[in-house]
Amino acid sequence: MGIAVRNEGTKVNSNINVTPMVDVMLVLLIIFMVITPMLQNKVQINMAQVDNPTAMPDADKEDAIVVAITRSGDVFIGQNKTAISELGVQVREKLADKPGKTIYIRADARAQYRAVEDAIDAVRTAGVEDVGLLTQKREGNLSGGE
Amino acid sequence: MSMTTGGGGSYSSDINVTPMIDILLVLLIIFMVIVPVTPKGLDALVPQPPKDKQQQNPTDRTIVVQVLREGGKVPSYKINETDVYNGVGGPAAQKELQARLTEIYANRAERIMFVKGDDNLDFHYIAEVIDIGRAANVDHIGLMTPKIMAGE
Repeated sequence: MGIAVRNEGTKVNSNINVTPMVDVMLVLLIIFMVITPMLQNKVQINMAQVDNPTAMPDADKEDAIVVAITRSGDVFIGQNKTAISELGVQVREKLADKPGKTIYIRADARAQYRAVEDAIDAVRTAGVEDVGLLTQKREGNLSGGE
Repeated sequence: MSMTTGGGGSYSSDINVTPMIDILLVLLIIFMVIVPVTPKGLDALVPQPPKDKQQQNPTDRTIVVQVLREGGKVPSYKINETDVYNGVGGPAAQKELQARLTEIYANRAERIMFVKGDDNLDFHYIAEVIDIGRAANVDHIGLMTPKIMAGE
């Protein structure tokens, strides 16, 4: 009897308990599925903070055209760096199938307004009439930008 | 032996809380990450320059807010050609601008405003003016650029 009990014990312990491992793996999978698209389509930018922004859920859609302007004046369309002189052509290409779409501009709070103006002019020549300037909602009661 | 198996049954009657808490915490973290990402922004229009130069709209009801940089760090504001605030500017000037705009648009049907900013200003000053316009219930805000003014 004693030998039989021992054998039983070794048999049970020799199996790896897979269920919690699978749990953890699935959870990790979900986390990475959620986080990776967020990390991919964003250029690092400190957006301006305002009090009355409207929600723009379309800016997160996959087919949204987002023009990012960094503090140093570099222009990105989506995630690709581009020259301001080619921005109009590229936006026009992307807009070919659906004119009248809103273009989103993610400008850094400290970017020179001139760079933003140039970008606006470029998308204007591509036939855009409606732009969304992406900002953040101001938290707390701070007045004035930094 | 079968009696001890019954004892084993009473052993498993407790809910194993640890993996449930694991999953709930992970869900909590996922939703904490997702919620603040909903993008927000200010809607603005880009006016196209008139094709026919002769066909200009009457300008007496058009409101153009100018954001000017005159030496100091903070900009000063003008509504059409009138100075908004005599002083250093900053939050007081913004409050005054909002008060004036609210007064102007209080009993108007067409709530359109244009914003014109100096080239060498930081972008967030212009965003603040558009924000003030939104606070003053302006429906359509147009961004004027030098090229539009030149009619290109």
